[in-house]
Amino acid sequence: MSGFFENLSLGYQVAFSAANLLYCFIGVFIGTLIGVLPGIGPVGTISMLLPVTFGMSPASAIIMLAGIFYGAQYGGSTTSILVNIPGEVTSVVTCLDGYQMARQGRAGPALGIAAFGSFIAGTIGTIILMFVAQPLSGVGIKFGPPEYFSLIVLALTLLSYLARGSMVKAIIMAILGIGLSQIGIDVVTGRVRFTFGIIDLEDGLGLAPVFMGLFGVGEVLVNLEESLNIEVFKAKIKGLLPNLRDWMDSIGAIIRGTFLGFFLGVLPGGGAIISTFVSYALEKKLSKRPEKFGTGVIEGVAGPESANNAASSGAFIPLFILGLPSNAITALLLGALIIHGVHPGPFLINNHPEIFWGTIMSMYIGNVMLLILNLPLIGLWVKVLKVPYKILFPILLLLCIIGSYSINSSKFDVFIMFVFGIIGYLFKKLDYEPAPLVMAFVLGPILESSLRQSLLISGGSMLIFLTKPISFSCLIVALFVLLSPIVLQRSRRIRAKIS
Amino acid sequence: MSKRVRLDGLVWLILGILMCIGAIQLKLGDFHTPGPGFLPFLSGVLLGIFGLILTFPTPLKRSAEGEEAKNERSSVIWNWKKLINPFLTLLILFIYLLILEPLGFILTTFICLLFLFKLSEPKRWLRPFILSASTSILSYLVFSVWLQCQFPRGLIKFW
Repeated sequence: MSGFFENLSLGYQVAFSAANLLYCFIGVFIGTLIGVLPGIGPVGTISMLLPVTFGMSPASAIIMLAGIFYGAQYGGSTTSILVNIPGEVTSVVTCLDGYQMARQGRAGPALGIAAFGSFIAGTIGTIILMFVAQPLSGVGIKFGPPEYFSLIVLALTLLSYLARGSMVKAIIMAILGIGLSQIGIDVVTGRVRFTFGIIDLEDGLGLAPVFMGLFGVGEVLVNLEESLNIEVFKAKIKGLLPNLRDWMDSIGAIIRGTFLGFFLGVLPGGGAIISTFVSYALEKKLSKRPEKFGTGVIEGVAGPESANNAASSGAFIPLFILGLPSNAITALLLGALIIHGVHPGPFLINNHPEIFWGTIMSMYIGNVMLLILNLPLIGLWVKVLKVPYKILFPILLLLCIIGSYSINSSKFDVFIMFVFGIIGYLFKKLDYEPAPLVMAFVLGPILESSLRQSLLISGGSMLIFLTKPISFSCLIVALFVLLSPIVLQRSRRIRAKIS
Repeated sequence: MSKRVRLDGLVWLILGILMCIGAIQLKLGDFHTPGPGFLPFLSGVLLGIFGLILTFPTPLKRSAEGEEAKNERSSVIWNWKKLINPFLTLLILFIYLLILEPLGFILTTFICLLFLFKLSEPKRWLRPFILSASTSILSYLVFSVWLQCQFPRGLIKFW
């Protein structure tokens, strides 16, 4: 127990240093900003700002980038409530009742409960993360190469299953991501792979140019097709503090959303997105007035907003315990740690306690900062909403260019970003979700080394993946997930025939 | 099934085959000691298989397709009028790449931002000029002076 308090004290020292307080503030401020602005998400922003973190310590970098992640969950609700356009995909559900509340002159309580709900969920989520992560890291040590291989296969399958649109397309994206991660020198044999004689490719494709292209440039190009003259809520926002009745209606939804969000956030895939939909459905099911949902019910805002914030805390569990990301954002955080020379895994908490405990403590501080940013300063974000996209997009593109160039001072990286910008644009147009590609691209090298090591250990027998219980369970679940659409469709047909 | 989805499938199938050919040239090794081409070969095979699934109707494709994918068949995704802005933006980005080293960071950024801002205000010069000049200088001060990023100096050597 004394070790726990020592670690807490270390985290306190790291998080409360003047520099880290500033980075935490910058992170949550940018997070709220991009959450408010439609057309740019946390994935694109974290990619663009990766190079900015190079001069920082790894702990400071993760504190700032994590701040962007959970800050975006707060900011996303503002646009959902005020203009009926979700700033983030995790705030889509908030539009349903939040916007209706705003139309009825209750924008204040809607924004207030979204911020308080997010604060409560973020804080409880951080407490669970603090108590659960270290004991679970013991489980992580039991993971050998076969377990890692199978877990990555499961993670990619789940992510493809949960992706929007076609599952086949999502699987193709994941395979393509693995393929792209193979470019460059093979670390075992020293053979150069798929570089086509281009020396710049021998170190492989850079994480940041690929991410900035796919998410930054690709997103901008898609948005440029549409007119983004959104109508901003014009009425004055008053009474941000929810009244007693609002609290009575919301507190249960907030608590349920918190626990639901945290545990769904741990799962690979779009945990945060799913948790908002599940939370909304749950609240509707439990409500005494389910018919009122969609007309401006405060529980419809409180539950999903709490769930998406708690999910962002839950997403840190697999990252800190196994070194495996559960979504595209934590994949980027993993990339950031690798760039900073830190190799996440079961030993991260013991080897780099300042990163884990510093991040945990900064999340408490960040949640308080976000509450202040999102309640008294709501007027500022409403003004930000009025910045036209025609002014915003050249700045976003410039950030992508600078971000790509500054990593290696290489024009080739900007070229890679340009190429992946076109690819990202085409993927969006053709309904290919880039998240599985990003996850597979980051996890590809771990997948390959785990596969090779497993086969070396087993003397070339693939049965090693089936004889280890954890590995076997992961593969069975992956197979079940892969085949479930066929089974479900068949059973539906049979039922239809019978009836 | 739409022609476009079939075409997508064919592209992935061809890419999968090319990956397999490249992987074989790299040497596959065996199960005991997998070579550098082992995982790329597996990836190529899987990419080809899923490309085939997308090209030809199969139970997996039919059941795994979401509603969104079904709706897309009837919707128009390429509206040529809407493509002008993305195309011009890409062109400006490409020119940025070409002139970055000869002209240097500040001048290149200023020129390209000017045209990017002008995309939405084709008849006005003053506002795009002020916006691009201020953004270029501010980005230089933040990234080059404060964060010490190294950018090409090009023509303006004293920066």
